[in-house]
Amino acid sequence: MQIRKKMLGAAAIGVSAVLAVSACSPPQDGSSGDAESSVTWIVNQPGGGWNHNAPEGGSVYVIQMLHDILPVTGFWNPEGQWEWNTDLIANTPELIEGDQVSWEYQINPDANWSDGEPIDADDFVWQWKMNSGDGELCSDGCNSRGSTLESLIESVEGSEDGKTVTVTLKEDAQFPGWFTFGVDGLYPAHVAAAEGMDLDTPEGMRESSDFFNANPVTVSGGPYIYEGTPALDGRVVKVANEEYYGEAPGIQEIILEVNTEEGSWVPALTNGEVQGSSPATWSDDVITQLEGQENVDFGIASGGSWEHVDLNVQSDLLSDTALRQGIFTAIDTANIATRTYGEKFPEIEPRTNHVFSTTSEFHEDVLTPTGQGTGDAEAALELLEEAGYELNGDSLESDGEAVPALRLRYTAGHVAREIIAELIQADLAEIGITAEIETTDDLGGTLAEADYDLMIYGWSTTPDFYGSPHQYWHSESGSNFGGYENDEVDELVDAALNSSSPEESAEAANEAATLVAEDAYVLPIVDTPAYFFYDTSFIEGVSDNHAQSRRALWDQTEWAAVE
Amino acid sequence: MSEMQSRIAMDDGSSDGPAAPVNRGGDLTQVQLIWRRFRRHRAAMASLVLLGLIVAFAFLGPLVWQWGHTVDSNIPSNAGPSLEHPFGTTKQGNDVFAQTMRGAQQSLKVALTVAVVSTVVGATWGAVAGYYRGRTDAIMMRIADIFLIIPLIVAVASINGAVRGGTTWYAVALIMCLFSWATVARVVRGVVLSLREQEFIEAARAAGARATRIIFRHLLPNAAGPIIVAATLLIAVAVLTEAGLSFIGFGIQPPDISLGKMVEGARTAAFTRPWLFYPPGVLIVLICLTINFIGDGLRDALDPRQTMVRR
Amino acid sequence: MLVYTARRLAVAIPVLLAASVLVFLMVDLSGDPLAELRLQQPPPSPEAIADAEARYYLDRSIPERYWLWMTGIGGNGDIGLLQGQFGPSVRGVAFDIGTQLSSSIYVTIRLVTAAVIAALGLAVLSGVVSAMRQYSKLDYTLTFIGFLALAMPTFWLGALIKEGGLWFNQTTGTGFFYTIGANSARVSNMTGWEYFLDSAGHLVLPTITLMLTSFASWSRYQRTSMLEVLNSDYVRLARAKGVPNRVVVRRHALRTALIPLVTVATIGIVAIIEGVVITETIFQWRGLGYFFIEAVKAQDAFAIMSWLMLSGTLVVIANLVADILYGVLDPRIRYE
Repeated sequence: MQIRKKMLGAAAIGVSAVLAVSACSPPQDGSSGDAESSVTWIVNQPGGGWNHNAPEGGSVYVIQMLHDILPVTGFWNPEGQWEWNTDLIANTPELIEGDQVSWEYQINPDANWSDGEPIDADDFVWQWKMNSGDGELCSDGCNSRGSTLESLIESVEGSEDGKTVTVTLKEDAQFPGWFTFGVDGLYPAHVAAAEGMDLDTPEGMRESSDFFNANPVTVSGGPYIYEGTPALDGRVVKVANEEYYGEAPGIQEIILEVNTEEGSWVPALTNGEVQGSSPATWSDDVITQLEGQENVDFGIASGGSWEHVDLNVQSDLLSDTALRQGIFTAIDTANIATRTYGEKFPEIEPRTNHVFSTTSEFHEDVLTPTGQGTGDAEAALELLEEAGYELNGDSLESDGEAVPALRLRYTAGHVAREIIAELIQADLAEIGITAEIETTDDLGGTLAEADYDLMIYGWSTTPDFYGSPHQYWHSESGSNFGGYENDEVDELVDAALNSSSPEESAEAANEAATLVAEDAYVLPIVDTPAYFFYDTSFIEGVSDNHAQSRRALWDQTEWAAVE
Repeated sequence: MSEMQSRIAMDDGSSDGPAAPVNRGGDLTQVQLIWRRFRRHRAAMASLVLLGLIVAFAFLGPLVWQWGHTVDSNIPSNAGPSLEHPFGTTKQGNDVFAQTMRGAQQSLKVALTVAVVSTVVGATWGAVAGYYRGRTDAIMMRIADIFLIIPLIVAVASINGAVRGGTTWYAVALIMCLFSWATVARVVRGVVLSLREQEFIEAARAAGARATRIIFRHLLPNAAGPIIVAATLLIAVAVLTEAGLSFIGFGIQPPDISLGKMVEGARTAAFTRPWLFYPPGVLIVLICLTINFIGDGLRDALDPRQTMVRR
Repeated sequence: MLVYTARRLAVAIPVLLAASVLVFLMVDLSGDPLAELRLQQPPPSPEAIADAEARYYLDRSIPERYWLWMTGIGGNGDIGLLQGQFGPSVRGVAFDIGTQLSSSIYVTIRLVTAAVIAALGLAVLSGVVSAMRQYSKLDYTLTFIGFLALAMPTFWLGALIKEGGLWFNQTTGTGFFYTIGANSARVSNMTGWEYFLDSAGHLVLPTITLMLTSFASWSRYQRTSMLEVLNSDYVRLARAKGVPNRVVVRRHALRTALIPLVTVATIGIVAIIEGVVITETIFQWRGLGYFFIEAVKAQDAFAIMSWLMLSGTLVVIANLVADILYGVLDPRIRYE
């Protein structure tokens, strides 16, 4: 909008001057043709590739850039409930139980890509083949980042000109999150076909996967369409798609600007260069600056990731469950929560379940019954003394020998983890355990080599939790970095993955979490809060959605320019 | 790095005349003479006193101050300035006053190490190259060029990852040394090239003095002027470079702290929490400012020709 | 002189090569560029990781990677500096190092040109004034300003300058200064004048941030060389002959005193390019500095290497030009 002001030329500066004094925008009328409404939104990191199914493209930033360009089957609302995209899907798909589980989509007959080609079964088939992990459908894993759901699908078939799509799972397969198929957006298969790729061959499929990764889509199946060439590390300009089959958006133009320098956000906001953001990173300073601004609305809520401390159970020392329980009991998670995020987000609470936040309908407190996370040094010492440890002066001893110092690690430069590490260090000192803080620059490598005694890091939470327990704790999982092994847990996490409904899955997940808590393998600490902000003198109707990677952009079509 | 180069070169430009040959028997009077001339430079003298105070603040302050620079659970979170905490506190519960002292100490340690090590290495390298000339000179200076071409941040960023458990002050200092000695070498070589043609060197050579003796007893002492000034300015440049590295995330890592790290952390707090923004920044400015003035004073004092102009 | 130039360039090539080997080693030491990929949730399939390793040549040994980067022989046709290929970026297939580099150069040149012109002009002015009024209040003030500019961390200074620009916008009620980016999003719809205003509004604040350090050091230079000339025999002679002061300064002194500045400024352009790294981060310009920082953050070896070769070549050329200019401007110096 600042831009428009400039375009009116020098004469307009005088006019806007008056308005700018009251930190106000020039009046906007979203409905009138010549006064185009435009919003510039900060994205805090560049994207890596245009195919959200590929590893480089699988970031929240890319999903934000593709949002409302690629058609989706449905989405998670802010409460974490699934909603179907009624613009695209005309029916309410339901599971058809039988020999093999299946379900059916009826696509809106008017739903076309912006070039006039219909959105149909081919696009669904492409999405399945892309992530199937089957070399006969797409070569060498298709450069997919992997998806459990698509790997369980046996077929995706179209009928009635491809406007009815039936998805059938393999024999005996079931998946609690079956409805999430196509949640991040469907690619226009016909565009790849027009480029000469034969999508029925594994080679052609693979070629199309790389094609969609290297090039932004030129057509749109959603309410917006790219203008010019969008840049993953620069600027993405989306304008209203005139061919859209649903309702037209309220804002004509949405510009996403990659901006990696937090310090520049609020100055740019007050200067009218940007109108808002829902960054993936937390910053006390940005929030402090926002608090001082007029005409700015911002909100904070528990976000999409959570911090935890893992113990390396492969080490001789920490293979002792009693010592682990003692350590976790001595850590005061409530104090950590307050000191990390409490100042700007006083409602913050420690996390008490590995899989579900307190806001989730499936949440059960698995931690409080164990006494872990209370920071009760006496209780911790009692536990330890029962197991044969003894506090001698400032140092915890076992059989007369001091417990060796533990290596506590986290990613260098991560502000919250720095605080967590220092507080854990202080908590452990109270039970006579020395924790030596060592930062790492290579979290992945350090985890993979299990090069730590205690490690502080984060996992992301999404409403489709079904695979997470398996990933965290299954003895065969590559992400079970601390080397936890428990047959009962293995069975439960398999069950969480292999069930037909979210409820069923959640039950198994909670049981597994209870066992893991008793074994003191992972201590959940706190949900990382996330914030969003926007200029209320430019736009209204903005709300955050922590259940989606798209965050506050999730219902951007509902935004309106302020009169 | 190249910034370093140009800043030191700046000094080089104004002191291109080598100092008069040192009379070894009269060292004392020479030093006294320089000191007398230096004292006359009022800004430099004032700077020397101020810098002395800053150094005392950084190194002696932590011994007497009631708080340490690390997190203390008795310290309230995010408090404003008070008698108890003159610069307020951080979110974690650090006393910012204690952090400022510690930060100044670490920054100064980095800067002094960089200045001393790269001056010693650079001066020797440059003197040897300048003394031998010819092929030796060419090879040695091309090696120096390699380090002049590589940007410091590439070096620090890469080695950062290889250093286990984060980056300590001496790791940062040593990496900065690796990429700053070459500048000194270049300056010294230039001076030595002109010195070696002078009579007293030829006399020494004629008397059968060995190369090492000529380099260390005759050439380097006589190039002391430009070397000392270059070393002084290196301190200021190193403080700023460390701050720049912190800004892009490659400086000293927590729980340790430096002035650069503090300024970087508080760069958005200018209006919201000025007590976090200004103290470390002003301290950096003061350190660099005083050092630049001292360098200026030294240059005047060491270069008799300049002083004559003044009269 | 041609022989001299050719010889200097020939010597520079092994230096550049040695520097590239060193940096290549260091970047390789700095960790695993795919670390983030491996940590993705849900974890990527082993095929996807193997695929990425092959695509970015991470499955080869270090010497092999260096050889590939240089020659491209044995690669997939997307690598080999000698064939004009910069190699694949670990940030993803959509990121083409060559394209990014050329668009960054354009952005950076605009900023650097503005900063150099501003810094040179101000440096000559303040240096000459300082020298002519040596030890006056004005001289001391200018000296102090110069020292102050040399004593401030660039990003701290940048933050202050940005606040200054915002304050100007708010008090005057205009939107003249911009704080992020090199241009607004919608430049295609603008007239020439609007485009100019937009560019200028984006350019001013980063230019001031970038030029201050160079201005300070160059004005000190100018002051010293002006003083030297003013105290030289021929200026004294001219004065003794009764040539008016203004003519002495303009005709005799200033011209001679500019010689050292020309060479210093040529070398100093390199320092500016480094200042660009921080300035472009603060003001979020998509130029060479930003390109470099993002490459380092992503441990993008081939991008860092391309940047190094570009900046290294610039350093070599700047040094050479400085030496040649010195000879051209000062007839006492001859190159064999």
